Amino acid sequence: MLHALSVWLGRTPLSTLLQNIDWVIPSVQSVHIVAVSIVIGSVLMLDLKAFGLVGRSLSLAHYAARFGPWIWGAIGVLTLTGVTLVIAEPDRSIENAIFQLKMVLLLCLIAELSAMTVPLRANSVFWEARGRRWLLFALVILTLVTVVGIVFAGRWIAYSQ
Amino acid sequence: MSVMDLLSGLQSLPFPTLVREDGSLFPWIESVHVLAITVVVGTILIVDFRLIGLASRGRKITEMIEEITPYTWSAFFIAVCTGAVLFSSNAVKYAGNPPFLIKMGLLVLAGLNAGVFHFLVGRDSEQWAHLASPPWKTRIAGGLSVALWVSVIGFGRWIGFTMH
Repeated sequence: MLHALSVWLGRTPLSTLLQNIDWVIPSVQSVHIVAVSIVIGSVLMLDLKAFGLVGRSLSLAHYAARFGPWIWGAIGVLTLTGVTLVIAEPDRSIENAIFQLKMVLLLCLIAELSAMTVPLRANSVFWEARGRRWLLFALVILTLVTVVGIVFAGRWIAYSQ
Repeated sequence: MSVMDLLSGLQSLPFPTLVREDGSLFPWIESVHVLAITVVVGTILIVDFRLIGLASRGRKITEMIEEITPYTWSAFFIAVCTGAVLFSSNAVKYAGNPPFLIKMGLLVLAGLNAGVFHFLVGRDSEQWAHLASPPWKTRIAGGLSVALWVSVIGFGRWIGFTMH
């Protein structure tokens, strides 16, 4: 089924158009990496704040409000550029196990970041409760491992066809 | 002995040869390089957007720079080390690759921009570091930095499409 989807997508006029313009794929990939940088920089700041290593006079809720919109906006750009790259080169992605792993990791990151930041909207000191600190630290470690996994998987897609 | 002889000698050394010929060493080092660059650019953009007055407008600029730059420098160090290893594996070809040379030039310009900001623009930072909308010279330095680092990523990506 995935193979049929890949073949069909590769024959669409949009895919043919994107494949025939040399600068499209490198340019879209560059925008994709800039968006990855914004996600990584923002997640790093959130995680460092959760560990108390930055912004000691500010709350984690303040950091979530500051970086949340940038993270979700950048993930939106990642999705748009990612879909463009899949349409342009479906055989490089859809059936590729590393690409599929990257997508799973992206969903994990979205879930982890939501779990970390959404409770702060209703209760800005949600993570201050003693029993919840360990869960927060676990989420921080998970987000760090997941973003590293996403970057590594992204690079390895090119080497696993 | 010409520069090309030196580069040729460099890529013939045992470790560069291993990186070039081993199937998985290059992608692993490249992955660390990309991760380090995304941390460098991601953290620099946070400071740049504050310099421009786009984000974190309530925070003191100098405080943010003090907090974030240690992570930027650590990632930059890793990016330079891994970049040097990648370069050494195919030094002759990289040295003749226009996107690679442009990327190196952009890195020098980004360094000059940061130096000018630190030693000239930033001298009277106590007067404007707390302002939501910093003076024009600060916003220009931030805007230039965004343009240069985004271009570094763009030309970095272009290297992969022009090395074959």
